[in-house]
Amino acid sequence: MNRLPLFLLALAATVTLSAQPSFEAPPPPTAPVQDAGKRHDEYLKRVQEVLDWRAGRIDITQPEKHLDMAAIAVLLTRGEHYDVCSQRVIELMKDPGTGPFWMFPAVCVAYTGRDKLTPEAQKAIREAWRTTRQLRGDTENHWLMYYASLYLMAELYPNEPAETWYSGKSSAENLAESREYLVHWMDELTTSVGQGEYNPSHYIGEYAIPMLFMATWAKDPEMRIRGKMMLDWLFAELAANTLNGVLRGPNSRTDEGSAIERWNALSSYFSWLLFGNTPTPSGYGGWGVYFAPVAHNYQLPEVIYRIATDRSGDYLQRDRARTRRYWRYSDVLSPPVYKTNYLRRDYAVGSTQGIVNDAIQSHVWDVTWAEPDPRGKHNTMFSLHPHSSPKWMQSQFATYPEAMITAVTFEGKPSYDSPDKILGASPYEKVFQDLDTVIALYDIEPGERFEHINGFFSKDLVNVTEDSSGWIFAQGGRAYLAYRPLAPYHWIPYLHYNGGWAKEKLPLGGKLLVSPHLKNGTIVQAASVDEFADFAAFQAAIKALPLRFALDPVPTVTMQTLRGKQVTFTYGQTPVIDGQPLDYSKWKLFEGPYLNAEVGGRKMTITHGHLKRILDFNTLTITDQVTK
Amino acid sequence: MKPTSRLLALLALAVLPALNAGCATAGHDLYLFGAVNIQGRVAGSRDASLNGVYRRQADGSFQHIGINYPAMLTGSFDPRDPRVFYVATINGVLFTRDGGQTWRIGTSWDMTEPKDVRVDPNAPDTIYAALPDGLGVSTDRGLTWTRRENGLPARGKYTQVVTVDRTRVGRVLAGCETGIYLTEDAAQSWRAVHPTKETVNDLQQSPHDPKFWLAATQSAGVLASRDGGLTWAPVAGLATEKAHYNIAFDPTNPQRIAIGGWTYGLLTSEDGGATWTARNDGLPAKHRVWRTAIDPDNGHLYAAVVYDSLYVSADFGRTWQSAGLPNSRISGFAFVPKAQP
Repeated sequence: MNRLPLFLLALAATVTLSAQPSFEAPPPPTAPVQDAGKRHDEYLKRVQEVLDWRAGRIDITQPEKHLDMAAIAVLLTRGEHYDVCSQRVIELMKDPGTGPFWMFPAVCVAYTGRDKLTPEAQKAIREAWRTTRQLRGDTENHWLMYYASLYLMAELYPNEPAETWYSGKSSAENLAESREYLVHWMDELTTSVGQGEYNPSHYIGEYAIPMLFMATWAKDPEMRIRGKMMLDWLFAELAANTLNGVLRGPNSRTDEGSAIERWNALSSYFSWLLFGNTPTPSGYGGWGVYFAPVAHNYQLPEVIYRIATDRSGDYLQRDRARTRRYWRYSDVLSPPVYKTNYLRRDYAVGSTQGIVNDAIQSHVWDVTWAEPDPRGKHNTMFSLHPHSSPKWMQSQFATYPEAMITAVTFEGKPSYDSPDKILGASPYEKVFQDLDTVIALYDIEPGERFEHINGFFSKDLVNVTEDSSGWIFAQGGRAYLAYRPLAPYHWIPYLHYNGGWAKEKLPLGGKLLVSPHLKNGTIVQAASVDEFADFAAFQAAIKALPLRFALDPVPTVTMQTLRGKQVTFTYGQTPVIDGQPLDYSKWKLFEGPYLNAEVGGRKMTITHGHLKRILDFNTLTITDQVTK
Repeated sequence: MKPTSRLLALLALAVLPALNAGCATAGHDLYLFGAVNIQGRVAGSRDASLNGVYRRQADGSFQHIGINYPAMLTGSFDPRDPRVFYVATINGVLFTRDGGQTWRIGTSWDMTEPKDVRVDPNAPDTIYAALPDGLGVSTDRGLTWTRRENGLPARGKYTQVVTVDRTRVGRVLAGCETGIYLTEDAAQSWRAVHPTKETVNDLQQSPHDPKFWLAATQSAGVLASRDGGLTWAPVAGLATEKAHYNIAFDPTNPQRIAIGGWTYGLLTSEDGGATWTARNDGLPAKHRVWRTAIDPDNGHLYAAVVYDSLYVSADFGRTWQSAGLPNSRISGFAFVPKAQP
């Protein structure tokens, strides 16, 4: 299982004590910076801000309290206090951590300090990689961090025998195994059938940071360019899925905080750093600090920058990804995930087809509206079936049925077994999206742990109106929203698990629509306030649209959308739009105005206006084109 | 070790159950595999306690040996040399050839999270690993591994347990998501011998009758075979609603069998499996038995209660006392014949 280390939580609790200019300042402008030189200068200024902030929190007279590996990497990068850093490294290496969340910080210190730390300190690092067992973990981000770290350390210490490594394998063997996995992850998985941890709100750092290290420090030029190309790949996807820098829509994995306060995620750190169009999260996202020491080695391609900062036109992006591995109870190891994202200036709508990507942390669909300042705003609307099942946990974790829920709630995912949770996917939820209409249908098996669905209604909605037609109307930012529950419901206050190891639930405002019916559904439609004379006109337009639905024998909806489409969606059946069934089998890896890639193609074409960049993992080439 | 010595060692292993039957000897070291002092640890954090392999000391306490490793599940020893053993861990199959001083991860990135690992006692260079997506085999003492899954289904081959028939080289039973599978040619080919709807959690061969096998399952109760694993039938008197985790035969008494599990706790039979009794009095109220085992030297019954301690009973479950290892999750027991001086 994946867990955020405790020290990060402690860090998050303390970081607000120090000045963080871009966290505390008004939100940055969202308009693009036209001048390339200025754009890059601003990027480097933001990088420097991270380094300065982290260095500013250090009392060098108390290294045991203030010098963790991030602080050491920052000081080494700034060329400060080599002796103190060396001594502290020796101390830290006496009690190293185990696993990828320790490994890549250790790599960062090893490389930033290779010509600055004392020989004794470097020896201590090397010794820790002999003595301390490193867990490879059980998730995709674990493995990428593990093998990128092992690869770089094996390059740093080549030609050393098996007994000098924790793995019991020689430098050459470690290098070969690591390289083989990294290439497999790039060529056979991510660029062919998609990431298993697509659009992660936090784990994007666990991919981007190791890839930056690879792009910067790998001796093998092939691995350097692979690292650089993967950074472009990851950030292109981030750019296309953000609304003013805020990652919204479906997430393979996220947490309660990011599911409702959509900005509050490590992904926003990367948007801030690379695109400059949203505030950085507190503490620069925690892990984000590790990107900064070598961030100067990456320059965001202009085409990606343009995609991130241009919301002048509406666009639809349809992509494929895959689920986490299903060890059992599935005919397919990693079933395909079909993502639909429709982005407009004022709001965005995103979904998957309704699939359990990750039994615990998936977020399936939402409508998220733009906020001038997203900090503290719960700018989203969605529904879900709160699914909790030992057997489904077994499908993705190699464990006995009964133990997993106990372990999950014990190890940092306390909401998993809560009836009022707002995180997670369900096998009983099927979703169809056409532009800014979402239909989510539920056919919950009797006897399931929770026999109801939850709809999230934010504290930041205004004019919430329960209409006699059955629609619930509301406004979020500059978006009008219409939410149609298909079965009777009642309201309860929304209580928030503050992520991680939170034991208490906080009344942050907002409420849950709870519909205690096995056969159920939600329809949501959205529109910009500019499209209607007023709120009443929007409501009238929605109510005038033909809508028929039934819940038995299975939920089914036939309706005309606000955009004039005739859609029919029946639980468990192929959606039909204007008489045409939706053929998921033809979906590409990426398809839209900005990102395009074929399944199995290992090649992404990134386009904006007259700019084009092609990332080709078949030839390991980056091609930039400017069309007239 | 010279070939003749190996042969003698193998012979000793083969006759060991007979020697043990009814006459306890002080001939075994007990090794445990698991995590101790479990806390809300996260990937990357420091280990606050020692985990991995423990060996029982003369005073009954357990001493950690080898590496600190929180995700070790089961182990299997080379009968020729107890310093050589293999451990199923989250990283793959680890092995040591010097009693735990040095280790190597035998498997590569393409095999992960083995749930079980077994040495073929009649061909100890051959090791079998139960994988979440199939089955791996090494024929060079763990150095290299290949998949041998011919005859296993394309899907449904999640393998929780692999058990080698001690009477015949290359005869192995595997407990999978979709049932029990058998190979008689060292995993070159497999065939289904009994289908199940959910995972087979354990497979054990009686130390008294090599034709008698028991299988603990997730939702089919406990199954018994009297023909060496070719045919299986439910054991009467045992519930099927919840999972049974593992089975232990008593090498000192052919009538005594124990079953452990999360829901039912510790169940015992003293009539060869005809009737069963819950033996949870004296165990913690949450008697979630992760693993049970029986000491071949004296018939003492062990119950590893997860997130609690290891418990031991000298009267086959009627009374219990703590054997230490608080807040632990013991996943594997191995009773290994003591090395002769």
